[in-house]
Amino acid sequence: MIQLQSIEKVYRTDTVETLAINGVNLSIAKGEFLSIMGPSGCGKSTLLNIIGLLDEPSKGNIKIDDQDLSRFSDQQLAKFRNQKLGFIFQSYHLINDLRVLDNVELPLLYRNSSAKERKMLATAALEKVGLSNRLKHFPTQLSGGQRQRVAIARAIVGNPQIILADEPTGNLDSAMGNEIMDILINLNKNEGTTIVMVTHDESMAHRTHRLVRLFDGSQVQ
Amino acid sequence: MFKHLFKLIWNKRKQNFLFLSEILVSFLVIFAVFSFLTFYYQNYSKPLGFEYKKVWSINYDNGLLTKNNDSLQLFYDNLYKSLKAMPQIEEVTYTGANYPYSNSTMSTGVNHQGKKFDRVNNYVVGADYKKVWNVSVIEGRWFLPEDVVTKNKHIIINETLKKQMFGKETAIGKLIGNYDDKEKMKVVGVVQDIKANGDFWPAGNAMFSRLDTGYLKNTSDILIKVRDGADATFESELYKFMANTMRNAVEIRHMDEMRDAKNEVTIMPMVIFIIIASFLIINVALGLFGVLWYNINKRKGEIGLRRAIGASGSAVSYQLVMEAMILATMSLIVGSFFAIQFPLLNVFNIPASVYIIAMLLSVLFIYLLVFACSLYPGKQASGIHPAVALHEE
Ligand SMILES: Nc1ncnc2c1ncn2[C@@H]1O[C@H](COP(=O)(O)OP(=O)(O)O)[C@@H](O)[C@H]1O
Ligand SMILES: [Mg+2]
Repeated sequence: MIQLQSIEKVYRTDTVETLAINGVNLSIAKGEFLSIMGPSGCGKSTLLNIIGLLDEPSKGNIKIDDQDLSRFSDQQLAKFRNQKLGFIFQSYHLINDLRVLDNVELPLLYRNSSAKERKMLATAALEKVGLSNRLKHFPTQLSGGQRQRVAIARAIVGNPQIILADEPTGNLDSAMGNEIMDILINLNKNEGTTIVMVTHDESMAHRTHRLVRLFDGSQVQ
Repeated sequence: MFKHLFKLIWNKRKQNFLFLSEILVSFLVIFAVFSFLTFYYQNYSKPLGFEYKKVWSINYDNGLLTKNNDSLQLFYDNLYKSLKAMPQIEEVTYTGANYPYSNSTMSTGVNHQGKKFDRVNNYVVGADYKKVWNVSVIEGRWFLPEDVVTKNKHIIINETLKKQMFGKETAIGKLIGNYDDKEKMKVVGVVQDIKANGDFWPAGNAMFSRLDTGYLKNTSDILIKVRDGADATFESELYKFMANTMRNAVEIRHMDEMRDAKNEVTIMPMVIFIIIASFLIINVALGLFGVLWYNINKRKGEIGLRRAIGASGSAVSYQLVMEAMILATMSLIVGSFFAIQFPLLNVFNIPASVYIIAMLLSVLFIYLLVFACSLYPGKQASGIHPAVALHEE
């Protein structure tokens, strides 16, 4: 499903050069649930952003669904992200001025779906994460775990093949974290969604199929 | 997407209040500016209705002249002949004080079929007034000598008053009531409107009546049309002649200069108003620009998220420009509600078309302003790197 070939990422500022990713080769199969661990600053988010087509590698090649994405335009990449990828972030990234339902509908606004269809799909997605009774709430009226579940609903509403989660349980206590983890595991099992998750939590990582460890931008396991 | 943006803006209406009120105030100021400009332009584009070049006015103090009507008539007849005999003078007429550009007004009311017409400029004119100004008669005729002795006083009205009183019908031969409807006056002619208050003001309603013997003792103005050869030397000779004749103070003025002065009274305040309004608009534009800029920096997380879930860079900038345009629309709806009251309530008695045109121009102006102010912040937003934007928060 996802192939990374000798990926390198260098951040250049006026004074320093940071080698955030150093020669990572990684192949992720369809339907796999992969977790990435490593100390802070080792390049986990950078790697996930590269997989998520939010950032370009300085060197190397990335293929998703057998498509070479290096020559995609900004528009094409946006469309690809919209259709194939779902994102979950540690800090949820919900739009606080929009109600839960509108937040979840967001990805569908960037494709041609009718208002009726959007509402239907968003309601169904929220049902899957157990939030059908919070459609009209604003994100600020929800707990952290609930907010992350809204974010998951938003990630799955467009039915993507791949979900990229950057420390999805990082801001949550272990009970709430486990709830989120359960949802992701079910998603992976029932829908066959490929999931790549960055985590700090060994116990979460052990519930996934495979664990990749990064250190200073390189893969160590 | 439009509905989505509207929801977003609506939910943020408190934060957007400053933006909304800034646009509202600018709209109202611009509406005022455009109302003036449209009004002035509409009047300016109408024909002047007379020729002012080479017309001079002679104002004199009539205090030392005889009070006897018959001798006064004789005196004025002789003066007319002497002036007319001067080779540099083409035409001569006596006039009431409210001739064009004179800064003096005299108005009255007239009645027709139970309807009263107020603020009718009342021009009392000598026989050759038409020749001096080259006024065009569009219906009927100008005054004849026999108009002085008639049962009903003969009058001439202007086009504007004619249209109001008679519409498409002819005015000639119609009897209309004077200010208290006690006496009837007969219309013998209709003349083209003359813009007596300068290029930027309407002619208004006007009525001309013949300057008769009874009015002579009030008369203190002569209008002359000079020929090409009339120079400063002639002017000083004329001055001496008039001062001797009147045995009193005399003032000679040129219409072209009086016209410039009259127009300046309109132009100067307008220029000042436009300068002040421009400063205001520049301030508002900078304010809008700042608010949009600030919002974009505050919304980096949102922008990053939208990029992640499928918005291209140009979709992001389109969104931000659209948001600003929707906000502008909300203000413009409120603003138009106020502005539309002016034509509806017929404020200042100005034609509704002036307000409508001014409104349309102002709406267009505000949209352009907001569009211009949001274009650059929108473009900047599209350049925000999604990975970086998602990282900050
Ligand atoms: N936009 C950036 N500009 C410069 N350096 C960056 C940027 N993003 C990340 N880095 C650097 O790259 C390294 C990896 O960062 P990151 O992938 O966020 O680490 P992690 O997610 O594993 O904590 C860090 O040293 C970080 O400082
Ligand atoms: Mg990270």
